[in-house]
Amino acid sequence: MRLYSQYLLGTIVLSVLVVCIALSGGFQLNEHGARATAQAGAFAARASDPSAIYFNPAGLGFQGSSIYLGATFIMPKITFYGPSNLSLNDETKIVDQTFTPINIYGTYELNDNLHIGLGVNNPYGLGTEWPANWAGQYITQKIDLTTFFITPTVAYKVNEQLSVGAGLNYVTGKVTMKIGTSIPFSGNPPIVNLDLNATGVGFNAGIIYKFIPDLSLGISYRSSVKLDASGTAKFDPNYTLLSLPNGGATATITLPATGFVGVAYKAMKNLEVEADYQYIGWSSYNELAIRFKADPTKNEVMTKNYQDTYILRFGAEYTMDDIQLRAGYIYDHSPVLTKYVDPMLPDANRNGYSIGVGYKICEQWRVDASYFFLKFDQRKAENTVIAFDGTYNMTATLIGIDIGYTF
Amino acid sequence: MKQYIVLFITLAALIAALLIGCTDSAPTGPVIGFGNSTVTKYVSIGNSLTAGYQSAGLYKSAQLYSYPNLIAQQLTKAGANIGTFEQPYWPDPGIPDPLTGKASRYVIYGWSGTTPLIGPIGEALTAAAPENAGTVLRPYDNLGIPGIPLAGFMDTTGTYQSPPLGRDAILRWTSNAALGKSVFKQVATLKAMGHTPDLVTFWLGANDVLGFAISGGTSPNAPTSPGIFSALYTQALDALRNTLPNAKIVVGTIPNVTSVPFFTTVNPLLAPNIPSAYYLRYQKHGVTGMSLDSTKLTEANAPLITLKGQAYAALLGQATGKFWRDAAASLGYPIAAVLATQGATLDTTKPFGFHPQNPWPDALILDVDEIASATNAVNNFNSTIATVAAAHSAALVDFNGFFNNVKANGLVIAGEKYTADYIAGDIFSLDGIHPSNRGYGIVANEYIKVINASFGMNVPLVDVSSLPKLSAPLYKGGNGKIDPVLPFGAFNSLDLLFRPSIQ
Repeated sequence: MRLYSQYLLGTIVLSVLVVCIALSGGFQLNEHGARATAQAGAFAARASDPSAIYFNPAGLGFQGSSIYLGATFIMPKITFYGPSNLSLNDETKIVDQTFTPINIYGTYELNDNLHIGLGVNNPYGLGTEWPANWAGQYITQKIDLTTFFITPTVAYKVNEQLSVGAGLNYVTGKVTMKIGTSIPFSGNPPIVNLDLNATGVGFNAGIIYKFIPDLSLGISYRSSVKLDASGTAKFDPNYTLLSLPNGGATATITLPATGFVGVAYKAMKNLEVEADYQYIGWSSYNELAIRFKADPTKNEVMTKNYQDTYILRFGAEYTMDDIQLRAGYIYDHSPVLTKYVDPMLPDANRNGYSIGVGYKICEQWRVDASYFFLKFDQRKAENTVIAFDGTYNMTATLIGIDIGYTF
Repeated sequence: MKQYIVLFITLAALIAALLIGCTDSAPTGPVIGFGNSTVTKYVSIGNSLTAGYQSAGLYKSAQLYSYPNLIAQQLTKAGANIGTFEQPYWPDPGIPDPLTGKASRYVIYGWSGTTPLIGPIGEALTAAAPENAGTVLRPYDNLGIPGIPLAGFMDTTGTYQSPPLGRDAILRWTSNAALGKSVFKQVATLKAMGHTPDLVTFWLGANDVLGFAISGGTSPNAPTSPGIFSALYTQALDALRNTLPNAKIVVGTIPNVTSVPFFTTVNPLLAPNIPSAYYLRYQKHGVTGMSLDSTKLTEANAPLITLKGQAYAALLGQATGKFWRDAAASLGYPIAAVLATQGATLDTTKPFGFHPQNPWPDALILDVDEIASATNAVNNFNSTIATVAAAHSAALVDFNGFFNNVKANGLVIAGEKYTADYIAGDIFSLDGIHPSNRGYGIVANEYIKVINASFGMNVPLVDVSSLPKLSAPLYKGGNGKIDPVLPFGAFNSLDLLFRPSIQ
């Protein structure tokens, strides 16, 4: 039985990896475990499953050895109305895509105080694809960003009240983009296809303090990660007379630092509630600059000027024997100023509603499922720097599933 | 136990179903249309910019993108029943260069490496009159008359109706001889025939300074005087307003020459060809023969070499009198007659442009006094335009401010960047003065914005990104500037266009 389960686990890990490397992720992702997601990600004060590696590494100090893995299926929908100076009512929808950030966590209890873990997940990613020849083709046709964070983590339980943890983030990133180029030419303008890869390093750390067994405080921090991406630019069609800068290209993206402060309280015997404040240092993303090695005069700098922002998270979990029922609410304040809203990632303030269920199959195995619906406020882009005004309607549906195995 | 799970899952499914249906409705905003106003007849008045001139020619495939035609299409989109906006369409390749009898328009006719070779290529004409001359039995709606200065609006003497440039084909409506043939009389005739315009765009005055500027301050040798301009502008708007008391009239200011690539392209290309020990010796305004005036072209407030000068840039430092031979040929004079105007001090065996005795000719450069003269004229004209417009309840489009801003900052539309750079900027056509298809779309949008704001309308803007770009692949050099090769004589037809007294 034991051997069989390990074999099964290995197969699942492999197939999840294969599936997920082929797909990609939506830009800041906070869905890194179905249990936490079902509670709108309000989890930093408890971090009571292996997704602590993401939410708060100190949480490992209060856990045993286990494996927890799964994926979130993200299905965004965006409709653009405009450009408003031409028509308020022309609508364009993004091409349907499903993004599947994964999470794989393993934790191991070296002794009662010292715990280690390893996590692989996709904290940042985005993707939008608009129909060919759409009105914004010179701004974006397709973008896809995937990051993998590999996070070796260590946690130390000081006593039954206090645990601290820290991790190192080894990050790989990949960005592909497709943009129509603005060059005087009749006929099909060349489309630039960018394919860039990067690696970077960051760290995270956290602390959990239990004032009393029923009341805990969690604080965690994840550093920014600078990704110097390099790869190739390919122009299609490539008109030789235009001397297009085919070949080497680079871009630098700084993934923002983020921090959580959460308070969890056991309100009733079977009911835990938590409220978190998450800070995101989005001002690190002030521009997206594409630099061409062949001809720096053709470099493309897109101003983003993202603002530092925050997310409020509220979650609850109700336990009945082997079943746990969960629900949550999130308010996510957009980092994007109105004049910088663009179709590459048209962001807006969001309200999210989550529910989920966990089931303990047996002593070792558990399964968690979550359903999360994000409703974006209608976003009116006005006086944009790219002169592409209009209205964006957006929603996203996220379905998460994770399985856990406790040794 | 089980019933709780069933309950929870049912509840979850219900919430999920509710939320998926939870999407925003389409945005609402101002309704496209004319508010409390109406537009039933639109007429445009102006010069070559209004006619839809591009690349030194007037031809149908460019006329289709004239700003008046683009405005008319947007008015129709907004629901106006203005019928077909009639323009005098010249089948491609368009009108002739009177000197050669061949099409005057420029094309990119070849490449020298990655440098475009630009100019007229002697295309044979395909028509002697606009294709719709026999079917449009009334004045055209687009009354853009190539080459006319402000005075041409009221003039009935025939001075501005000469056949070159297709003028007579537009000012042709003589069914009522008493009304005469001026531009204004065409408007009056439209009204008399029951086509009373209720929206008029009026953009004249550019030629009152451009003729001076593109000839390097030589022909004519001064812009129209501010006093005369003011009198003519008042007379023109008086006449329009009296004839069309209820029309919505929109006028435009005149862009300054320093925002147009015809005047800004060559300096940065020529300056590196002046060796550090040398200066460009050039003739100041009105100077003939030898000249000691000098420039490096890089100093602040440097003189401006016109685009016409690009044809002579390669001859810098050579012992040549090529310019004077070309000038004689284009005027039809013997070379000796032209050289006689320069006096005995001119010596074309000396290095061209570097030696005081073979200086860069006045006709290819705007010196600082000429620039100041043009700028003063533009400022005076524009303040007149604003004052007279206000006195006649006409709305105002500030094209001078707009193009100065484009020159300084460029322009972004739907993510695409436009600049005032020659060709590469995609706003100006191959002649460096007249806009391109997209440039005219940008001009149309400046009009529409003012029309909407002034008259409470909501006419949609032109989708500039959907208009064709220039019609040839172009090299954008490492410095982002086009370094064109323009043939000698390429500007003959432009000279005519901006020489108001041409017969």
